[in-house]
Amino acid sequence: MASSTTTSSVYINVIEDVINKVRDEFINNGGPGETVLNELQGLWEMKMMQAGVICGPIDRSSANKQPVPGGPITPVHDLNVPYEGTEEYETPTAEILFPLAQTPLPGNAQTPLPGNVQTPLSGSVDNSSMYNIPTGSSDYPTPVSDAGGSTDGKAGRPSPFMQPPSTWMHQRPPLSVDVNVAYVEGREEVDRGTSHQPLTQDFFMPSGKRKREDFASKFNNGGFIPQQDGAGDSASEVSQAIGFYATNLIVSKGNDPLRSCDTITTKNREILARVSRSYSKIPQVDGPIPDPYDDVLSTPNIYNYQGVANEDYNIANTPAPNDLQASTPAVASQNNDVDDDDDEPLNEDDDDEEDLDDVDQGEELNTQHLVLAQFDKVTRTKSRWKCTLKDGIMHINNKDILFNKVVQSFRPDLGRTCAVQIEFWCQDYAYGGCCLPFFLLGFSGWCGFVNSKRTLFFMELISRHKVSWQAANPVVYLVLVWPSV
Amino acid sequence: MATFELYRRSTIGMCLTETLDEMVQNGTLSPELAFQVLVQFDKSMTEALETQVKSKVSIKGHLHTYRFCDNVWTFILQDALFKNEDSQELVGRVKIVACDSKLLTQ
Repeated sequence: MASSTTTSSVYINVIEDVINKVRDEFINNGGPGETVLNELQGLWEMKMMQAGVICGPIDRSSANKQPVPGGPITPVHDLNVPYEGTEEYETPTAEILFPLAQTPLPGNAQTPLPGNVQTPLSGSVDNSSMYNIPTGSSDYPTPVSDAGGSTDGKAGRPSPFMQPPSTWMHQRPPLSVDVNVAYVEGREEVDRGTSHQPLTQDFFMPSGKRKREDFASKFNNGGFIPQQDGAGDSASEVSQAIGFYATNLIVSKGNDPLRSCDTITTKNREILARVSRSYSKIPQVDGPIPDPYDDVLSTPNIYNYQGVANEDYNIANTPAPNDLQASTPAVASQNNDVDDDDDEPLNEDDDDEEDLDDVDQGEELNTQHLVLAQFDKVTRTKSRWKCTLKDGIMHINNKDILFNKVVQSFRPDLGRTCAVQIEFWCQDYAYGGCCLPFFLLGFSGWCGFVNSKRTLFFMELISRHKVSWQAANPVVYLVLVWPSV
Repeated sequence: MATFELYRRSTIGMCLTETLDEMVQNGTLSPELAFQVLVQFDKSMTEALETQVKSKVSIKGHLHTYRFCDNVWTFILQDALFKNEDSQELVGRVKIVACDSKLLTQ
């Protein structure tokens, strides 16, 4: 009980710390005010009590400060449930998103924009490498997660709040559909106009990417920048160039000599870009790819780990400006993108599936005991593991235990692979060092002879049934003494 | 200050997340503010564990699975024995997720 009381008090402190430190955000900057903050604290504490991790009496301290709202009491339920009823959710979200994007709020969606759009305009060539990261942050309005920076995704599962943004993005399909229609038209135009095909392909290839940028810029600027990249229209060329640079695609001028946009030098583009950004509306008919983009949007995990999708784009795009012939037809590249999207990139859910393989279905899944911690070091000596963890939270047997330091040591689960000790008596058989496969009691593996008299067998047991290589594969030493003949 | 989102999966983190979910859903809270609260929670929880918690625990068990990916160790232990100063718990199967503490100090 001692541990649980301390746990409870630490939790109380954490709650109060959080509440105090976000108070400014709630009260200033047109925040929802302190009543909402109090409601938050009340709900939070109530849930904690329902979960049985904070004790009632300790809660008095906070109850003194503000009344626990009686109204919105709801039972603790699954996290995913609230998001399903999206309709109520949609409206406020959309309303919130755009004003926020317009007014420069600290650390919010506004921040990524300069990195994305302005940096490329300033002509740095490294943009393609920077591309993935800022794009991810701007596309995917989880500024908080970005603040988390390097630690993102470390938790092994998407944090619950990684999901809402994706649902918001889901709700954007009307926008993307419009752009796509425009794209098709623009492309036909290009084809009919028999303008320089490779170049237009260059423009089109990144289109899926660019569209996301456009999203970002829409969010961030709050301005609507439609873009037309039809053939031969100088205004659209400009906007196209802007869009192009916004997507960090560096097209060197010399590579598209036949285009009228040649006359636009890089500096001109910068200027034009600034000018055009000041316009609230620049018509844009550029070619985002409908399906891959939507696919990407529909799988939030890709957003958490954007690398895969973006890499493909970069690979396709980077050589294109320099080598016109290398550019493949736009449709083909799109199809590739679609294929790539179909191949689910590695993500954190994969682990869970593997876990399921080993867990007897259903068993332990509900009562998952979990330890969340930081590790100082993890060492292994043969089959003995030793880990030093710190600053952890354990949820064991429905109790929360906090610890500052833990030393854990464990051995591989020999029960699953069956440590076998067999003794034979050995006389004169002289076996050199060799390896023999063996099959024994449903286990198979390899064994080696070390000496001939009292033979030390080195065996690695591989259960034919269960052992996955991911599990700790034990190496079992057997002393086998050969039987006398 | 770098933080881990790790602790959001704990009971206190889940409770906070649920609360924020509901409030965002009700429209009483903007998602951005909810994010900020979560980030603040990451910081506060990390700090509290560093400063307010002194207890030590030892865990022994059979290692079922180990995994090291993206600087995160994941262990699944079977028949793990957790020893506290004053108590001990036996758990049939426990999952341990640990982030690299060095990432925080960088």
